[in-house]
Amino acid sequence: MTPGAFGAFSPHAPNIVLPLRFVVTGLLALFSGVIWLIVRPDILATYHYNQYVIAVTHLFVLGWISTIVMGAMYQLVPVALETKLYSERLARWQFIFHLIGFVGMVWMFWTWNLKQVGHFGSVLTVGVALFVYNIIRTLLRVPRWNFVATGVASALSWLSLAVLAGLAIAAGKCSYDSESALLQAAPVSALVHFLKSVAGYVAHFDAISAMHAHAHLGSVGVFLMLIVGMSYKLLPMFTLSEVQNPRRARASIWLLNVGLLASFLAVLFRSPLKFISSLLIVAGLVVYGLEILAILRARKRRALDWGLRYFLTALSLLVPLSFLAVLLAWPGLPLNVFTGQLENLYGFLAFVGVVSFAIVGMLYKIIPFLVWYRSYSSKIGLAKVPSLADLYSPGLQVAGYWSWLSGLVTTSLGIILSQAMVARVGCSLFLLSLIVLAVNVAKMLSHLAKPRVEPLLQVPKRASEFQRPQPEIIPSRS
Amino acid sequence: MSNDTVTLDVREDIRSGREPFSKIMAAVAGLKATQDLRLIAPFEPVPLFGILSQQGFSHRSSPTSAGDFEVVFFRTPAGTMSADPKMKGGSTPAAAGHAVCSGAPVIEVDARGLEPPQPLVKVLEALTNLPQGARLLARTDRRPMHLYAQIEERGFKGESEEQADGSFVTYVEHR
Repeated sequence: MTPGAFGAFSPHAPNIVLPLRFVVTGLLALFSGVIWLIVRPDILATYHYNQYVIAVTHLFVLGWISTIVMGAMYQLVPVALETKLYSERLARWQFIFHLIGFVGMVWMFWTWNLKQVGHFGSVLTVGVALFVYNIIRTLLRVPRWNFVATGVASALSWLSLAVLAGLAIAAGKCSYDSESALLQAAPVSALVHFLKSVAGYVAHFDAISAMHAHAHLGSVGVFLMLIVGMSYKLLPMFTLSEVQNPRRARASIWLLNVGLLASFLAVLFRSPLKFISSLLIVAGLVVYGLEILAILRARKRRALDWGLRYFLTALSLLVPLSFLAVLLAWPGLPLNVFTGQLENLYGFLAFVGVVSFAIVGMLYKIIPFLVWYRSYSSKIGLAKVPSLADLYSPGLQVAGYWSWLSGLVTTSLGIILSQAMVARVGCSLFLLSLIVLAVNVAKMLSHLAKPRVEPLLQVPKRASEFQRPQPEIIPSRS
Repeated sequence: MSNDTVTLDVREDIRSGREPFSKIMAAVAGLKATQDLRLIAPFEPVPLFGILSQQGFSHRSSPTSAGDFEVVFFRTPAGTMSADPKMKGGSTPAAAGHAVCSGAPVIEVDARGLEPPQPLVKVLEALTNLPQGARLLARTDRRPMHLYAQIEERGFKGESEEQADGSFVTYVEHR
């Protein structure tokens, strides 16, 4: 007999080597970024419109955050939406484009060669296009559309816009003296002509507004949107709960979308509507927060492990971040040294406090699972396999949590007070936290190289048994 | 009830490192309605009690003079089956329906209310002990996305079915 309609056995998650490649690369970028800040803490302690800040920021957002987010999405989107990744091959190609793209971009930002930033940015964009195409094709297979899928689709749209805006800004900072020397018929001439007209258009906006608008597309549209969308799936999964009000969940995603569209335009055009549009985003976050609290209240697993504490602490940092956002969007706020540093703090709190901390928390759920699945799933029932928590040290995890938080507080003080040395101390605490994380990740990955399994049953070793001859009675009747 | 008793001695298997479960489950599957199973093992096989209680067996366990354990599994008289809380799911119409229709013994595993990957562990452990011809009915909170590849790899086939409450029932049997 056949049990009704069902999804057969075709859907499954991709090979874990693929997401792990992104995860390890992302962690290496994070390490480089934090060490960079220890060497040059003035990057945080001075206003953020200079080549060094932009280089380090892109190392964090492209090298660390985007790399991890993309790798995790190749793994999580199919699982969360009950389908199969469209293509693992495209994902492997994307990794190469992404790696070359972000490394080259960071390097060229540092030397402020915007033409080469554009070239490496285009390589990165090829990768992003492969990523977006792959996930869209995956979304098209989703058996039942839901608000998590809406969140993912929204993030893909904002990601595309953020990348295009970034390329346009880079094109706007290039000169096109060579244009007249090129043959009119050559395709490259048409391209240069196109870039020049883009540059002419970008020149209508002031550079800092364009940069801020571009940054919000990435931070709110991609990172925040994915945190919001995926947490509706992951938080219930890990706390044994359920989304309590799907309409509220849907509303949070649409408020973020509408708020971001309004904010993007308001920031770009320096409109006084910036304040109102920032309130729309904050309203989306309030609705999100209410739903998260409801999910947590309804959870069946009372104890919260440290991975979840990292994640929830990061979410709670959205509260001060939102206040800061509203304050900075206040109509007529003067730009002075202090408010300039508040803008630095805003970006720092967003990328390092909220997004990075949330990612580290989720990594403590995702990496052990990937490794465990790879090394042990085929041995379940046949041998004694370790549990997820056996793959890393909980003590180190706690140490990593507190050193991260103290690093966050100290660095924030350094930023507000424009004190480079204080920021350096704070970043050193971050480095401590990262070393702890690296040790734990190495512990997890060691199970890939050397799985640890024990026989399922412990045989009682009694001398009498070894001496006694055993009668063969299998199976016999009495 | 003076039933036949089939005796199975798994001490040698365990001593030489062989996994005795499939042997035990095969013996169970081969029992006639009137037969009991007498199992001799070097220790008390506690995990087996739960698995066999889901198939409607009670047990009497006693240590032997040689220091081993002798356990007699006998069919639980009708009406007392629901005394075991694990049997609650098994007595739902859906499960009973499948058991009747397929004519094969159904082992039910309820892996709901567990944090990932515990549902995976629970289902795969039960699968290891699935006798030929029997089918496993696994209940999970979500579609068991990571289970499918493992099922295929271990020579099983199966299907998932979403329930009205949003949970999933997955049927697995030998290919």
